[in-house]
Amino acid sequence: MKRSSAPAWTTVLVIVFFYIPTLTLIIQSFNSAKYGGGWQGFTLDWYRKLMHEREVWRAVQNSLWIAAYSTLGATTLGTLGAWMLNRYKSKLQSAHYTLMYAPLMVPEILMGISLLMFFVNLGIPLGLPTIILAHITFCVSYVCFTVMGRLQDFDDSLIHAAQDLGAQWPTIIWKILLPLLGPGILAGALLAFTLSIDDFVITFFTSGPGSTTLPVYIYSAIKKGSLATINALSVLMMLVTFTIVLVSNHFINHKKT
Amino acid sequence: MGDFFELQTITKTFGSYKAVNHSTITIKKGEVFSLLGPSGCGKTTLLRIAAGFEQPDEGRVILDGKDITALPPNDREINTVFQNYALFPHMTVWDNIAFGLKIAGRSRSYIKSEVERMLDMIDLEEHAYKKPAMISGGQKQRVAIARALVNKPQVLLLDEPLGALDLKLRQRMLLELDRIHDEVGISFLYVTHDQGEAMSLSDRIAVMNRGHIEQIGTPVEIYEAPKSSFVAAFIGDTNFLESGKVVKQFADGYCNLKLDGFPDVICYNDNNHAVGEPVVISVRPEKLRVSFDEPPDHQYHNKVRGKVEDIIYFGSETKYFVRVQDYRLSVFQQNIHFLLEERQIKWNDEVWISWHGNDSYMLQRYTPEDEHLLAVPDPQAK
Amino acid sequence: MHHADRHKRPPEWGLTMPSFGWMTLFFLIPSVLIFLIAFRPALPNGGIGEGWSLSAVKSLFDPSYPLVIWRTIWVSAICTTLCLGLGVPVAYYIARLPETKRRWVLLLIILPFWSNFLIRILAWQTLLHSEGPLKQLLEFLRVMDPHTTLLYNVWVVLTVLVYTELPFAILPIYAAAEKFDFSLLDAARDLGASQFRAFWTVFLPGIKRGLLTALLVVLIPAFGTYAITDLVGGTQAEMIGNVIARRVLSDKNYPQASALSAALCLVILTPMLIALFTQRRQNGGAAK
Repeated sequence: MKRSSAPAWTTVLVIVFFYIPTLTLIIQSFNSAKYGGGWQGFTLDWYRKLMHEREVWRAVQNSLWIAAYSTLGATTLGTLGAWMLNRYKSKLQSAHYTLMYAPLMVPEILMGISLLMFFVNLGIPLGLPTIILAHITFCVSYVCFTVMGRLQDFDDSLIHAAQDLGAQWPTIIWKILLPLLGPGILAGALLAFTLSIDDFVITFFTSGPGSTTLPVYIYSAIKKGSLATINALSVLMMLVTFTIVLVSNHFINHKKT
Repeated sequence: MGDFFELQTITKTFGSYKAVNHSTITIKKGEVFSLLGPSGCGKTTLLRIAAGFEQPDEGRVILDGKDITALPPNDREINTVFQNYALFPHMTVWDNIAFGLKIAGRSRSYIKSEVERMLDMIDLEEHAYKKPAMISGGQKQRVAIARALVNKPQVLLLDEPLGALDLKLRQRMLLELDRIHDEVGISFLYVTHDQGEAMSLSDRIAVMNRGHIEQIGTPVEIYEAPKSSFVAAFIGDTNFLESGKVVKQFADGYCNLKLDGFPDVICYNDNNHAVGEPVVISVRPEKLRVSFDEPPDHQYHNKVRGKVEDIIYFGSETKYFVRVQDYRLSVFQQNIHFLLEERQIKWNDEVWISWHGNDSYMLQRYTPEDEHLLAVPDPQAK
Repeated sequence: MHHADRHKRPPEWGLTMPSFGWMTLFFLIPSVLIFLIAFRPALPNGGIGEGWSLSAVKSLFDPSYPLVIWRTIWVSAICTTLCLGLGVPVAYYIARLPETKRRWVLLLIILPFWSNFLIRILAWQTLLHSEGPLKQLLEFLRVMDPHTTLLYNVWVVLTVLVYTELPFAILPIYAAAEKFDFSLLDAARDLGASQFRAFWTVFLPGIKRGLLTALLVVLIPAFGTYAITDLVGGTQAEMIGNVIARRVLSDKNYPQASALSAALCLVILTPMLIALFTQRRQNGGAAK
């Protein structure tokens, strides 16, 4: 039976579609033409200039701190929430579930605006703390559902077995739950970290003076039209994330075998 | 009844793996024909070629005199009962059965009457509006059969149709399949690795091994006169006596054989092995007779002396493992008067084993790849 | 589990509170707040005034809005159609690959999307820039007038939107396709269905859940598009998100921004809640 080759061709076209813009960006970052025009020779100038841009490194620092705090907060809240949702089936958990699920159904801009209104109304000055609060809020749901996916495969009788063998809750958590659920929680935390680092829209509406994150910096640079150094910055950022992804992929593969 | 559905000299390779090698089967109209073999023997590939899911590299598929090799599955008057039923999970039993008729654009009244007739045949009227997930394995099986048969195919292909059912259900479904076959009277091509299914259902069986067909014959032929050591080992239990050599051929077809580590035996030379040719002798456990008393001498009978090493009691019969020189023979004995017997056979008893020379077969030595098919590994083997 | 329910009632409340409370405080209350602020008057120099007013809600009927709302809807709809239309064959193709190859093709598809969202938009801007490679190629081929621009129109917005959302459509469809029993397609062919018919009547219903997830995952962000239109769309391609942002950022007219947000929120949430509740009822009640 001959299978249609249309799906294969669509896949090839989609992959080409995915890579062309990125490849253009990488090439342009080495182009000495200032406004990204035609090829005017290879240069590393943009990378050199980038090294001297103080603001970029401030933004990187801000982004990392925000991501660190948000990951910590969202992972704790999300894991606990997932555990409770998985363990109990009550009216309370039904409402809890809806509260966790709803943020996934709301466009980022709405969440950004509503949090902005909330902070403005309470008279809380916008800055790093408000960004962290916002980031924790949108990351909790993602962590919660990632962890819950793993929890559903978790065999409850293991806890009963541990109790039967005389283990107390601290021992159970440390010796049974963390080793078994660790990978799920780690996956959730990683997702939270990436989402936080990557977020622009919500950050944009909840940030104040001096709390520029990397995406917000990139946004204003694009707006100002100073593309050349941003191309270089983007290539560096991609390099970092790709390395992390490939290394962790490699690591996960090896753990499986 | 002439040949009706033919797979002629089929060869199919996947990459460097030869799944089916130059295999031919011909199925008569109304016949139940089984493809029997271990997993990976190529039987499923052959069935998929018959259905049209795979194109053979070489060979032709002929149905009722027409070459249908190049026809896609939807244009063949052949339907399949799939291994895991492949019922459409989003459709009810009724819609599953009606699927083929709807595709064919039959009238609504025709579809209704045909589906109802099928539901009646498989006795599932009350489950017509359930989804497949709501019915049992045996019921799914019947729906799968009805869904295929409602299209009135010329040939029905069945791919391990009972594989997912438990033993009791399997036996019931076998009777059911037999009944359905009698009712519709079309050709069945039945693929299975289970010799019991194949033996009880088929008119003829093709035994397959590593991509080629070892033997085609009726169940009795396959069991009683295996053509190869593979067939002898795969169908039922057998004892192999290796390294035999024909030393003397008699005019009535029997011959004397000399063996290493076993007494000389007499055997009917079915396949005309020449004097001096090395052969393997196969004797089925139930053909052997075990006794304390020495059996009387007889022209074509073999009798050897051995020591009982193991006994497995099955209720209706008992299996004895008896050491005879270098060999460990397995012997099946019906427990006809078990408790009435004066002296029951126990461990370490010295016993006689006897069999008729016509109940054993001389075969070519099996290849090393098939060695694992030897029924019981000998713990004392070097 | 039953005895846990009886004996451990207090821990359930105590341990549910952190996440429950957090989401109430930072998600539920702010969302409700938007609906309240929509009924507040705006101060002329920005900010929220005292008392109640219908002026912000009335402003929703501003004659310039229907065009923007219509554009938001059709751009989102086309984007979603394209994402599903491309996502289904891609997911089908990957799901039928041998397992070792599947991992690599999936990685190949996800990899560009590990870069920042804005960088992906920037990449398109670089590609379509007036002196960028694509424009120069088209000029060289005499397909394009040197004075027109590839950027700043609604088609660019649509392209970039599909570009950013497509992987999020492919992943859930693939997850469903991977679990799909492909012997069902054989069965359909065997019963007389053509390749296309088998795909349509058996494969698509089989991956329904994945399609539904993909639909939501693409449609919701598309409705809220802001950054893409802002950076590559220009004023002719504005969507609701841009209008909301303008009310907040330049006019500081919070009540009007809230009214618009509340309207957008209702448009999205109403069908979703209906879907959620009917699905829940079908599954027999309890949340899972």
